[in-house]
Amino acid sequence: MLVTLLSSQYARFTALADAWLAQGASAFGVFQDSRPLIYWPAGHRLARPSITAPITHNDEEIADLRVAGVSGMAAEMRLKADATLISYVLQLENELQCMTADLATSQDQQLALYRLTQSMRDHVTIIETLQALVIEAVRMTKSHAGFAAFVSSDGQEPLLVQSPDGFMPDDVAWHIYWHTHTAEREVILPDPASDLLYPENVENMLAVPIWVRGSIMAMMGVTNRPGGFGTPNIKLVRAISDQASAQIERMLLYQEMFDQARLKTEMDLARRVQLDLMPHQLPTVPGLDLYASSRPALQVGGDFFDFIVGDDRPFLFSLGDVTGKGLSAALLMTMTRSAIHSKAQFMPYPTPEAVMRQSNEDLYHDFTRVGVFATVFVGQYEPGSQKLIYANAGHSPVIYRPFDGEPELLRADSTAIGILPVSSCRNQTLNMRPGDLLVVATDGFSDTRNSRDETFDIERLIVLVDQLASQTACEIANAMLETVSRFGGGRNQDDDQTLVVIKGAAS
Amino acid sequence: MEMKTRITGDVNILEIAGRFDTNTVPPVSAWLEQVTATPGPRVLVNLADTTFVDSTALATLVQALKRCHQMQGDLCVCSLRRPVYMIFELTRLDKAFNIFVDEEHAIQSFNN
Repeated sequence: MLVTLLSSQYARFTALADAWLAQGASAFGVFQDSRPLIYWPAGHRLARPSITAPITHNDEEIADLRVAGVSGMAAEMRLKADATLISYVLQLENELQCMTADLATSQDQQLALYRLTQSMRDHVTIIETLQALVIEAVRMTKSHAGFAAFVSSDGQEPLLVQSPDGFMPDDVAWHIYWHTHTAEREVILPDPASDLLYPENVENMLAVPIWVRGSIMAMMGVTNRPGGFGTPNIKLVRAISDQASAQIERMLLYQEMFDQARLKTEMDLARRVQLDLMPHQLPTVPGLDLYASSRPALQVGGDFFDFIVGDDRPFLFSLGDVTGKGLSAALLMTMTRSAIHSKAQFMPYPTPEAVMRQSNEDLYHDFTRVGVFATVFVGQYEPGSQKLIYANAGHSPVIYRPFDGEPELLRADSTAIGILPVSSCRNQTLNMRPGDLLVVATDGFSDTRNSRDETFDIERLIVLVDQLASQTACEIANAMLETVSRFGGGRNQDDDQTLVVIKGAAS
Repeated sequence: MEMKTRITGDVNILEIAGRFDTNTVPPVSAWLEQVTATPGPRVLVNLADTTFVDSTALATLVQALKRCHQMQGDLCVCSLRRPVYMIFELTRLDKAFNIFVDEEHAIQSFNN
């Protein structure tokens, strides 16, 4: 640094030397570690200086000014003043160099960010964006490795990219993702206070969350940077993550437009499957006034109801809800409904318990593979018996209101079909005398939301059934559909709404 | 919905705040799938701040429970609010899940 200053300001140092020589000094020079860097007049080695004054940098002596042939207080003060001035100029020179270096880095980074934006525009998928992001981030931060992860909010496969590939095991990378997700800010290693498990191969790391549409949906990390990660690196990685955030948002918008068109076709098909498969006519059962209806949501769920009527066989009905939405829910609903229907139709002595146990056995493995279950209610009525036998596999809400009593919520007697390998369903019996009322609905009723985000809830449903109890099955069903619809205040239904209303009648 | 994850000992803990339903299931499902991928997973889902669960959310928990059992591990739930507990009770999911009053009891059960 001092040598640079001496060469760039040679003329000014010569002027200083000339002034000293004119005042009677025999020599003037700048020495470092007792070796001369420069001196006047040529040939004088200044072996015995009469006065010296230190040149400092950051409070440390780095060199000294020397003169020979003059002495006294005035000369000492003058040499000291010269040395202080040179020290100050040296400091300014140093600061200027740092600022220039910072400016150059900042320009490089701006250019790199611009290139990043440009290169990201060429990518049309999120995985491509993540790959470009990691490569650029590693390059820009001069790190050895990087990774990025994305967890969508619509159930698509979570994405993880690493550069170089397999730098750390996937589960370790995901662990860092969830840690950053929970911390909601950048995570830096080494950090003695952090409870993040230290990944192998990692000497230092900077992981930043990427906010997309107001929540953390992605993360980017860079590891093993020589010298670790300081404030400029954090700022830079934040800037890169902001770029990534904007790009991911653009991409999601594009994907959503595409998906919406696909979804509409799928939902139309699912709705057709669902409505076409529901019974179109209500059976006539002596001793019962019954009604059933189903209103699919825009995003069709897996609701169904079914009647099984045969000569010399008891009347059976079923109502159920398969978890999930869309075409997959519609297909699984068809499967469930058919399994129950065939058992009720062909078993020698079908009872709700037997139908349910057998259906659970048939469907358990398939349901486990695809990760769904179906809540199902099966009821059986022998004309003239005034008794209804039922089995309930995890279904709710089911409300029974005897003609002379209070309404009660019937609890399921086993878990839904597909949860446990063996069903623990038992036949239960209800009176079905004239006026006794049973309402089996799906959670599309109780879960209906209004504009204040309140749900209709089971309690309101019980009160409503009680109020409507004197009406016919058809009137009760229609009033219930209308009431929840009014409660929803014109919002799109979140879920299908299906119900079977059965009321004892004089036979 | 907000989710927070942490590890206590070898138990992966998930806290879910707000509505846990079809619209908010995906990140929870992704996390559960990842933590149940290694043998002997121990997972605790803390529903203390969960205000609502729908059938898709329940299906996600059931799927994770089955995966845990397949991998010789276990999944428990704890700190259910009254309306959420009622859903578990009405649909008899209380038969399938080990439900605990708080995290402390749940973690103790893993250690026994």
